[in-house]
Amino acid sequence: MEAVAKKKYAAKDYKSDLKPIWCPGCGDYTVLNSITRALAELALPPEQVAVVSGIGCSSRIPAYTSVYGFHGVHGRALPVATGLKLARPDLTVLVTGGDGDGFSIGGNHFLHACRRNVDLTYIVMDNQVYGMTKGQASPTTAPDWEGSKLTPEGTGINPFQPLVVGLASGANFIARVSSSDPINMAKIIVEAIRHPGFSLVQVLSPCVTFRPEQAEWRDIVRTAVVDYTDDAARAARRLMTDDGFNVGKVLFKGSRPPFRPEFENSNGSVAELEARFAL
Amino acid sequence: MSNDLKSGDAINTLPELLAHALAMETEAAERYGELADQMETHRKAAVAAIFRRLEKAEQEHLDDLTERCSKFDLPHYAPWDYHWSHSESPEAIDITKVHYHLSVRGAVLLALEHERKATAFYAGVAQAAADAEVRTLALHFADEERQHIGWLEACLAGCGPADDTALDDPDPPLSQE
Repeated sequence: MEAVAKKKYAAKDYKSDLKPIWCPGCGDYTVLNSITRALAELALPPEQVAVVSGIGCSSRIPAYTSVYGFHGVHGRALPVATGLKLARPDLTVLVTGGDGDGFSIGGNHFLHACRRNVDLTYIVMDNQVYGMTKGQASPTTAPDWEGSKLTPEGTGINPFQPLVVGLASGANFIARVSSSDPINMAKIIVEAIRHPGFSLVQVLSPCVTFRPEQAEWRDIVRTAVVDYTDDAARAARRLMTDDGFNVGKVLFKGSRPPFRPEFENSNGSVAELEARFAL
Repeated sequence: MSNDLKSGDAINTLPELLAHALAMETEAAERYGELADQMETHRKAAVAAIFRRLEKAEQEHLDDLTERCSKFDLPHYAPWDYHWSHSESPEAIDITKVHYHLSVRGAVLLALEHERKATAFYAGVAQAAADAEVRTLALHFADEERQHIGWLEACLAGCGPADDTALDDPDPPLSQE
């Protein structure tokens, strides 16, 4: 607790007038609230923040915030956000989306965003299903999930491990949280934003409509027993033996400097940019 | 009834109590409003009306409280530094516990649970406080919450068997073929 410092912004200052149309009970409501709480705690002026997304239920978040937003095309949130951050390094850039958007259609961009390590915070709402298109298996779906008529006997494929892949690809900050713990999620989003470089926050965010059994997650998740490490090898060992339900703590904080191309003597004009690329 | 105050913590001054009350009433008003919006979006008018009524009641508390707080310099708490015993403030319904199947009866029970938690929180503050002014104000806030409980208990008594039929979904979600 700090002494007598009035808040400059309230969480609701970061919300737009548009009412979310997610299913009642969806974990994405909690994520929206945690993001706005985090921004309020950081006292970031809304005009100095941008939220970029792709396509999917969770990718609707930019519309529900009052900050700058870009609701992009499927799987392309990270390249858009990368371009934005490089052009406007003064902005705090968040990227929001789901497991299908980020790890399937946008999977290749995910690898290279981690590798490139631009100063972004990527919040992935992982519900192990394509919800917006009515319930198909996603990259993180368990191989034996039989809930979709497209995969009546399950996919039979091992699920994608976003944190392992993110770590191996160079993400500089890795955390996993549960939508059932919104306050701690806000705290970790604050840490993710403050940490330089590419921050990956996986949120276990149940789909109440197409994966109703995920309501049990609130009873399954447990607070990770160990604090973060800055040793990637140690973090990898932990993640490789992890069942996916250790939540609530940062798992890895790296010290790799973020990618910040220098544009010395640049006046920032479009004409100058064109000249740089002229053949 | 547990006091819903984080174990080992105490709220000892009026500004500390007011900061907690302001956060709790703000979250409660916003949460009831969010839930009412959700239910209206999903054509659950009767359930939405319950949440909207509670939003209005909480907003009235909040307006009074904001006026009271204007005379004090309140301490700043990060969201995770409040002395709640659970993740969010006691009066805020866990947003992941609702569903579009929620019945009027279910909504009333959910709201009752959290109004009781809010009452218990203030009662716990009063019980633990050494300062007489803090104790008096916390008891006053607890009484205000009991008014909501009374209204909700009356709603619950008026809920008929038909209020539970919301679980029968005439248009269930279908996976894409």
